[in-house]
Amino acid sequence: MPTRSPARLVVALAVAGVLAIFLLYTAVAGHSTPTLTPSEMQGKSGKLQVVGTVVGKLRGDSHSASGLRFQLTDPQGHGGKRVDVVYHGAAPPPLFRVGRSVVVTGTYAHKRLQGTDIVTKCPSKYTSTAS
Amino acid sequence: MIIVGILLAAAAVVVLVALPFLREPVAADDRLDAPSEADERWFTLVEERDRALTALKELEFDHRTGKVDDADYRELVGPLRQAAAVALRALDSPQE
Amino acid sequence: MADLGRAALVVTLGLAVYSLVVGGIAARRNERRLAASARNALYCSFASTLVAAAVLATALVRHDFSFKYVAAHTNRHLPVAYTLSAFWGGQEGSLLLWLLVLTGYGALAVAINRGLLRDLTAWVVPVIGGIATFFSFVLVAVASPFDTQTAPFDGAGLTPSLQNPYMVAHPPMLYLGYVGLSVPFAFAVGALLSGRTDERWIIATRRWTLAAWMFLGFGQLLGAHWAYVEVGWGGYYAWDPVENAALMPWLAATAFLHSVMVQERKGMLKVWNMVLVALAFELSVFGTFLTRSGVVNSIHSFSKSSIGPWFLAFVVISSIFSLALIMWRLPLLKAKTKLESAISREAAFLYNNLLLVALCLTILWGVLFPIVTQLLRGETRTIGRPYYDFFLRTFGLPLLLLMGIGPLVAWRKTSLRGLLRTLAWPITAAVATGIVLVAVGGGSSSPGLIAYTFSAFVLATIVVELVRGTRATGSLFVLVARNRRRYGGYVVHAAIVLLAIGIAGSSAYSSSVERRLALGQSMSVAGYTLTNRGVTVDAKPNVTETRAHLAVKGRWSGSISSGDNQYVNPPEPSREVGIKTDWLRGEDLYVIVDESHPKTGIVFVQVLVKPLINLIWVAGIVFLFGSMIALWPDAREQRRLVARLAPIASS
Repeated sequence: MPTRSPARLVVALAVAGVLAIFLLYTAVAGHSTPTLTPSEMQGKSGKLQVVGTVVGKLRGDSHSASGLRFQLTDPQGHGGKRVDVVYHGAAPPPLFRVGRSVVVTGTYAHKRLQGTDIVTKCPSKYTSTAS
Repeated sequence: MIIVGILLAAAAVVVLVALPFLREPVAADDRLDAPSEADERWFTLVEERDRALTALKELEFDHRTGKVDDADYRELVGPLRQAAAVALRALDSPQE
Repeated sequence: MADLGRAALVVTLGLAVYSLVVGGIAARRNERRLAASARNALYCSFASTLVAAAVLATALVRHDFSFKYVAAHTNRHLPVAYTLSAFWGGQEGSLLLWLLVLTGYGALAVAINRGLLRDLTAWVVPVIGGIATFFSFVLVAVASPFDTQTAPFDGAGLTPSLQNPYMVAHPPMLYLGYVGLSVPFAFAVGALLSGRTDERWIIATRRWTLAAWMFLGFGQLLGAHWAYVEVGWGGYYAWDPVENAALMPWLAATAFLHSVMVQERKGMLKVWNMVLVALAFELSVFGTFLTRSGVVNSIHSFSKSSIGPWFLAFVVISSIFSLALIMWRLPLLKAKTKLESAISREAAFLYNNLLLVALCLTILWGVLFPIVTQLLRGETRTIGRPYYDFFLRTFGLPLLLLMGIGPLVAWRKTSLRGLLRTLAWPITAAVATGIVLVAVGGGSSSPGLIAYTFSAFVLATIVVELVRGTRATGSLFVLVARNRRRYGGYVVHAAIVLLAIGIAGSSAYSSSVERRLALGQSMSVAGYTLTNRGVTVDAKPNVTETRAHLAVKGRWSGSISSGDNQYVNPPEPSREVGIKTDWLRGEDLYVIVDESHPKTGIVFVQVLVKPLINLIWVAGIVFLFGSMIALWPDAREQRRLVARLAPIASS
């Protein structure tokens, strides 16, 4: 009979196995998307998420061929760069409007974001009343 | 009116916090009633006994309900009975 | 009035500091009267926090808009229930609720245990005092609910999408859970500080941990249901950081609930339990930090607030303190027995813990990833849904299986032969279920099929356990009453199984179709045919309701409508989805009309069919029921405990 219990070995192997699964997955199928503000978009392209405030007139319809068109600026509204967005798909959530903070997911190419998903943030509950 | 209420409440808080000292301005024994060494040992032995007896009871129940078969039962019950016996014996003759 | 509130909070801060400092000195120097004084200070801190809470509640009900908080979160038209729930609707009020529950729980836990565990409880007082010091300091100096202004005529009000019963129930329930985890943590630290590192602290806090875990779990299900029926995207969980903030401590607490059983029976895993309870507590505070600080993007959050750094500092300092304490007391935390077999109840609990903590840390990594990438690469990257779904399946499915195997293995060791014998029936049931499912088309999703067969397996093991136990004792009631913890636990396992089936069905086997429908046009989804019958606009005093009406034919025939509400005061829109629940089949027909044109009758609609989703909500009820059974006080057990722990005269 071995003096050292094999049970410890089994548990250690299980821990190692879990860790291996985790590392393998993140290495192979990372699936992370860059999340940027409009002023960080310089030189970027491909699939990404843009966080910003909706500005400008809302033009068009998300269901039509030419899509819903608007612009995004930095979340705090510090002026700076604006990004043109063309959004296709289901109508944006009801809270979507000019002046709201949103996250748009899409593909960025030729200085335009082809948006496929919009998430609006719940109107701020947790800012301190002092602000 | 409210100010009187607040003052009373504040006084109550002070009294409550000082209460142990107001009740016993001079305490004969101010030690926190922690168990002594002997009590601690006795306590540990009681825990050992309870643990052994619970394990035994559980094994018996599992055997009765068929979860543990006869072969496994025979193998497991011996050490448990021994542990329980040791714990009971240690309780009966405590070392000082 | 606001002055009274502010004063009450300052008093709480003072009392908290007193119980922290004086309580610590008293415990260190073993002085009875000083320790009693610190205890009384803790009780009084609850009273003064109650006063502060009463002030805020009164101001809310009276529509006292000179309170900035009241003006920011309510208005004159708001129904009373939502006016009161505005108490926890904002930053400052929710912190006050946290402090109230903390001092309340702390006072109660200390009061109950002061006679039985005197030296341990003496150390619990300064720990609770320390946590209360932090929260009351934040309330006094950083985010006060009692800031005043010249009262405007009316307040800002509450977004219509938050005006529903969930706003009343969901946050307080979560808080009872989050804050409840402070009690076992405080007792664990107390055990380390007093050197009483045996199982006493675990036994004393067992019901506290269970209750907190129950509230946290049920609170999350309430939130999920809220998202499903009100937010209306067709889902109930988005792996949003704020949602994860509640899930992570819950997973750690689940692991803890299981591993303490190993320590109680076998005297093993002492260090692990200390680490776990600290992890659960830190995650609950960290979770609230995530929710409030705006440091990660979330649909629930909230611009960057000044409160973030304070919370982060608290989490870091208390984590370092806990780790240092554990390392210092390592010699006292030696295991009494060793793990002997890889097939034993102890081992099963270890695997269960491994999977739960792995899932918890995986989610934590996903939540922290944007922050880490920003710090290391200067670029924020966000991890998407597929990552979470993968690990939920990879760790969750084995966990599901373990739920069935664990209860059937004996302590110390079980032979493989013995194990297979006990599992014979459940395995047969699972295989049979699998075959039937494949026959009816369940093979379309492998994870779904696996989840269902595992679920059948676990349910079969629970039934086997109950049948065997009833045969041995003669009565199911007596069986459960004699061992509430075990059988309550089995009921909770059954709830988790229902949850798994509901999740699997509604994700792996759901259907979704999006279509543009002209007036009179039809579409079909998974056995239902929907026809556009036109759009109505209903203008009411405070709201204009636009609805598209669809006639449904198929497994159910009738009419369903969906659209938008446009409110007047405050002028906000909300989406209203149409849900038809078929209880017999356990599926939902879920209709989202995201755009409708009243004049032309054209609508853009997304129709989802979600099989078995209602099992998730049923699971919530079963979960509560099982937890209550396990929580139910046991007179016999209590007598035994008192006999053991009451101070004994040396004989």
